Amino acid sequence: MDPFSSEGELLTIHNLFHGGRYSAVINHDTSGLSAENSIPSRVYKIRSQIATGQAAEVAAELEGEDSPDLAVLKAFAEYSQGNTEDAIHTVESLVGSSSDNATVQIIGATVLHLEGRSEEALTLLSKHQGSLEAVALVVQIRLSQNRTDLALKEVLNAKRWAQDSLLVNLAESWVGLRIGGEKYQQAYYVYEELAQAPSTSTPSALIGQAVAELHLGRLPEAEVALQQALEKDPKHADALANMIVLSILAGKEPNEFNENLSLLRDAAPSHPFLTNVAQKSELFDRAAARYTARVRA
Amino acid sequence: MQSMLTKFESKSSRAKGIAFHSKRPWILVSLHTSTIQLWDYRMGTLIDRFEEHDGPVRGIDFHRTQPLFVSGGDDYKIKVWSYQTRRCLFTLNGHLDYVRTVFFHHELPWILSSSDDQTIRIWNWQNRSLICTMTGHNHYTMCAQFHPKEDLIVSASLDQSVRVWDISGLRKKHSAPTSMTFEDQMARANANQADMFGNTDAVVKFVLEGHDRGVNWVSFHPTLPLIISAGDDRNVKLWRMSETKAWEVDTCRGHFQNSSACLFHPHQDLILSVGEDKTIRVWDLNKRTAVQSFKRENDRFWVIAAHPEINLFAAGHDNGVMVFKLERERPAYAIHQNNLFFINKEKHVRSFDFTQNIQSPSMLSLKKLGAPWVPPRTLSYNPAERSILVTSPADGGTYELINLPKDASGAVEPTDTKRGTGNSAVFVARNRFAVFNSSSQTIDIKDLSNSTTKTIKTPTSINDIYFGGTGCLLLCAPSTVILYDIQQKKTVAELAVSGVKYVVWSNDGLHVALLSKHNVTIVTKTLEQVSSLHETIRIKSATWDDVGVLLYSTLNHIKYTLLNGDNGIIRTLDETIYLTKVKGRSLFCLDRQAKPKLLDIDPTEYRFKLALVKRNYDEMLSIIKTSNLVGQSIISYLQKKGYPEIALQFVQDPQTRFELAIECGNLEVAVEMAKELDRPKLWTRLSAEALSQGNHQVVEMAYQKLRSFDKLSFLYLVTGNIEKLNRMAKIAEHRNDYTARFQNAIYLGDVETRIQMLKEIDLYPLAYVTAKAHGLNEECEAILEASGLTEEDIKIPEISVPTSPSKAIVPTHQKNWPLRTASQSFFERALLGQVESMAIEDEAPSGTNGFGLDEYADNGKRFNGDLLDAEGEEDVTGWNMGDVDLNLEQADELAVETDGAGVGMSEAELWARNSPIAADHVAAGSFETAMQLLNRQVGAVNFEPLKPRFMEIYQASKTYLPATVGLPPLVNYVRRTVEETDSRRILPAIPRDLESVRTNDLRKGLAAMKANNLEEGVKIFRGVLHNLILTTVQNESEVEEAKKIIRTATEYIIAMSIELERRAIENDKSQVKRNLELVAYFTKPILELPHRQIALMTAMRQAFTCQNFVLAGHFASRVLANSSQGKNAETARKIKVRSEREGKDAIEIEYDQFAEFDICAASYTPIYSGQPFIKDPFTGAKYHPRYRGSICRVSQVTEIGAPASGLRLLAQ
Repeated sequence: MDPFSSEGELLTIHNLFHGGRYSAVINHDTSGLSAENSIPSRVYKIRSQIATGQAAEVAAELEGEDSPDLAVLKAFAEYSQGNTEDAIHTVESLVGSSSDNATVQIIGATVLHLEGRSEEALTLLSKHQGSLEAVALVVQIRLSQNRTDLALKEVLNAKRWAQDSLLVNLAESWVGLRIGGEKYQQAYYVYEELAQAPSTSTPSALIGQAVAELHLGRLPEAEVALQQALEKDPKHADALANMIVLSILAGKEPNEFNENLSLLRDAAPSHPFLTNVAQKSELFDRAAARYTARVRA
Repeated sequence: MQSMLTKFESKSSRAKGIAFHSKRPWILVSLHTSTIQLWDYRMGTLIDRFEEHDGPVRGIDFHRTQPLFVSGGDDYKIKVWSYQTRRCLFTLNGHLDYVRTVFFHHELPWILSSSDDQTIRIWNWQNRSLICTMTGHNHYTMCAQFHPKEDLIVSASLDQSVRVWDISGLRKKHSAPTSMTFEDQMARANANQADMFGNTDAVVKFVLEGHDRGVNWVSFHPTLPLIISAGDDRNVKLWRMSETKAWEVDTCRGHFQNSSACLFHPHQDLILSVGEDKTIRVWDLNKRTAVQSFKRENDRFWVIAAHPEINLFAAGHDNGVMVFKLERERPAYAIHQNNLFFINKEKHVRSFDFTQNIQSPSMLSLKKLGAPWVPPRTLSYNPAERSILVTSPADGGTYELINLPKDASGAVEPTDTKRGTGNSAVFVARNRFAVFNSSSQTIDIKDLSNSTTKTIKTPTSINDIYFGGTGCLLLCAPSTVILYDIQQKKTVAELAVSGVKYVVWSNDGLHVALLSKHNVTIVTKTLEQVSSLHETIRIKSATWDDVGVLLYSTLNHIKYTLLNGDNGIIRTLDETIYLTKVKGRSLFCLDRQAKPKLLDIDPTEYRFKLALVKRNYDEMLSIIKTSNLVGQSIISYLQKKGYPEIALQFVQDPQTRFELAIECGNLEVAVEMAKELDRPKLWTRLSAEALSQGNHQVVEMAYQKLRSFDKLSFLYLVTGNIEKLNRMAKIAEHRNDYTARFQNAIYLGDVETRIQMLKEIDLYPLAYVTAKAHGLNEECEAILEASGLTEEDIKIPEISVPTSPSKAIVPTHQKNWPLRTASQSFFERALLGQVESMAIEDEAPSGTNGFGLDEYADNGKRFNGDLLDAEGEEDVTGWNMGDVDLNLEQADELAVETDGAGVGMSEAELWARNSPIAADHVAAGSFETAMQLLNRQVGAVNFEPLKPRFMEIYQASKTYLPATVGLPPLVNYVRRTVEETDSRRILPAIPRDLESVRTNDLRKGLAAMKANNLEEGVKIFRGVLHNLILTTVQNESEVEEAKKIIRTATEYIIAMSIELERRAIENDKSQVKRNLELVAYFTKPILELPHRQIALMTAMRQAFTCQNFVLAGHFASRVLANSSQGKNAETARKIKVRSEREGKDAIEIEYDQFAEFDICAASYTPIYSGQPFIKDPFTGAKYHPRYRGSICRVSQVTEIGAPASGLRLLAQ
């Protein structure tokens, strides 16, 4: 039986993980699981630990483990700590030796994509066998390449065999938010459903809802959702970034969102919002310097 | 089959007769024990009992219009009663055996009775006489009824026949003819006698034979020529008649014991019958097949009656009566935002738009759903898929999932219907619904293709399920409500509330109202109880106001409850309705015929209470001021809630006013009311309250009113009011009150008076001691002498030094003590007009106005209003850009690109390609091209001031969606073309559109001018320019508007700059000429009228002060030309007169009032017409040619005289 099916043992932990409830994953009781599922559940736990910033502990814990699952996770933990060169090296060798391992595929592709080697990541992921996570990752990589068409193809493909999976729904929403029009509303429904159910109401679901509403032009509603997200996690970088975007769109004065800006700077100094803005600010100065009035006043 | 809905049951001895009141919720029950009961079946209360018959009472009927009823019993008597006076009015004697039935005629003053004496009689209850006796049956006549319209009677007898009688002759005889011949009169006088034998007034028309045993009951169809009869042969027979004959149509077989009564359903094609087999049976009139049956365990049924108007029946059995209805009348409906979806009586699905108050045509016909005669029970709507789930109780519960057609095109049969069995079905998510199966106690979660994705076993035995927020269900168990998470398959919360039948979510999804038969429980979305209330009358429905007030309907009222449980009545109801939505004063509902209705309600009371609870005093104040919100309920409510001071505002009655005033410590009102009422009790209470506040002047008055002398004296003592204390002593003397005199003397420390008084009452020893103690030896002697005693006779105890009363240190009697601050709420102050912010906050205080012009504020206000009016018509949102031309060449190019692998084009790049507008390029992050565009379009060269605007637009262009863990968020691009998916037409959203500039910045700028805050004003207007240089609009008219705003901003910047320049040199004596010139130029820019007046008035005064009378006169004329009334005009007129008299200028300045000229925006000098000038390409500000190539002083961005193609704001 598919362990991820609605009756499977791993469904809960799978949904918790992809719903972004990492602490719940870590605390999830896996003692009753059958032997074949103990590795996947451990993988989820370790990934959750890394996601919650415990990469160092994970790296220490996995010292000396040589199964491909754990080795690639260890490499990823090191990568997350900034020790990229060794990590990439390990990943490369694991990709070479056990590219049919699901964890190696996911983590390997993540690292490769982060390194800008997206095509290699896609090649690796193409070897997956019915892994929804791999599909989601492919979709995200395609979207980051601005290949909405290919992302959509991937989603439609996956929908044929996994219509109701949370991940497929999410991936479809990601694509929908790129396509726009009616798809905004559909994406909204997906996130709203997640955000409003107590068991899946996480900051990321709320942010998803807010983003969809924002794209639909429903600013006050989006603001409510973002505030809820920030209530749950006051330092959520994406929530803060979107809140700033929303404040500007709503015509607020800079002093009304400066606080969020400084919170974002503290929480995630390398958030794309900040790096983009800094980059553009430089660009502005450079570009503006090319123009001068003929007569100095 | 659905079961019957029992509404009321009584317990008594055997019920033989039943009658419904046509208007009130009353039912009369005649019992085998001689009692007649009057019940209110809605409240379930016994209203009255009538016990004058001897033995069983079988016949009973209400009069349709009069407060009368009639009864007939085994004592052979027919009694007519008044239920108002609660007594028997008279008795009709004549029958010779048991009276079986009695009925009033629907219009004539007749009573029809049937009796075991084999006769049927007609009585006139007005003159209390027997007018007709019908003989013919040869056994007991068990039942006789009038035809509801025609002059016919039908009767049933144990002789196995049913007879139809024609009584038109009787009617003719008794309808008063205009003139009567002697013969007629004779005939009439002898009528009764003749009838005894001739039976000419009532003749048998048809004799219906068919029953094999005696017939117990018979009745006419209300509209069709049909008769139904029930007999001891256990059959119910249907008969039809024409003018000339009558025949048996069919027999309804099913009762397995004697059938005792039957009738036609008043509105539907159904027959109801009851029998001694303890069943009530329902038959289809057209097919004569059994539709439904209901069985009681032990009680045989004897009688059945139908309510004449509403869907309600009553059946009498061995142990009482039951009132019931055959089907639910609650229409199935669902509400989504501003739409109501419902199923009407024809089983058609319709929608109703609350905003437009329009009902759609039928969208679907659900004729085939469930079974005939069984209306659908519930409807659930899915907005994402535009589909509905309908449940029907038929066949043990079924549901159907149906897609609604896009447009309502009539009652079409649905195609593609998915169905299954289940008792309840609700959508729980966009693509999921839950089906509850009561018998197996399971809930199936199904997807839209109707396949089960999971099955949940209910945690306890439940009755119904409701939507419980996304992914959750509310399970209604008999004594609890459970919030159940479908995904985790677990109970999230549980609350003990019994018998919840309906669930109503608030519009914001934060609260739920749980309705049971008699309780409303409000809970949060996590099932925490907020409040609960009990109603004695059944609760039918509820809906939430947007402000968080629950409106609910009972059988006869619409009521409201706030979240804190405060509730009240909004209005009464004549008929049961189902509330669907409330919007301001409009309350939408469905009636029992499933027709949408709109009721007008007065929300003032609950709005007021809500404002009170939220302490929103402004709103309360405005409610008090604008509505007549009075009434005992609101007063006691306010008092109870601890707001006596507010209640005080509503009350006129002095007694209540006094109570309230005391409660809130408002002495002023209390004194006023006490004076008006002048009762000792009130003065006492007033004095106590005043004392506790320290207001001894009021205390004094109260004591005076009470003639409470001793208290007064003490009050004077403690306040040090010696003068009054003396007066009190005088009064005491006057009153001959020795105790009081003594007391006052002590207070005053007046020994002589004391001794004097003691002497007066012959208490010489005491007088002596007093004198002795105070060392008044002479007095001692005198006392001894007067009393005839010697010093030796008196034994004096050891005397210490006498104390005298301490004097008040501060003579506080002149003023009150420091008062305890009586609570004076914001509210009271507001009512007293002390809160200034309320009415006048819009007007700038004239003191801050540097120009000191009084009219100015008013003008400014009016001006703002004008601006609003003129420009308010265009309602732009800035998000929809409308159609954008499609660029074919680019389209081809794009199509090729997207096919291959590799990296695609980001949406930002598409934006830049799709638009020629600088703002769109900024949003795309393509700053270079944006600058290029601005440089070409408006000659922009100095971009630094635009940096905030650049960054603002850029920052708002993208959102960040967290996706796969460990990867950066997915970036999405915010569009103003929300509905567009064609990549060649999508365009970015630009923050702060024209609308926002118009409503915010421009207004602020004008306000700054009004407030004489010029530096700020220049900054704001320049901000407007910097905003508009990078913006987009929707259409040509907005382009015009944007240009107009740019011009306005430019004029104001120039005007303000001139004035600022002038102020810098104002006090420089050497610059008087320049000062005067600048003030004159200040009048030049085209400002709004009130602002122009400011400039002109300033100029006029300056000119006048400098004795440039001609100039001052010129400005005065211009002031007057603009406005000839008001203070300014007055001043202007005076100055004009004076100026004309003087007729010369002291200083010659460069200002020719007759010449046409513009002001150079850099040098603030005139550019006379004909002189060369140069313009700024963006603002249009004019300059002397020498400024060519420098940066525009107004915009600070563009280059004066640069070649430019003009600003583009529209994407086409």
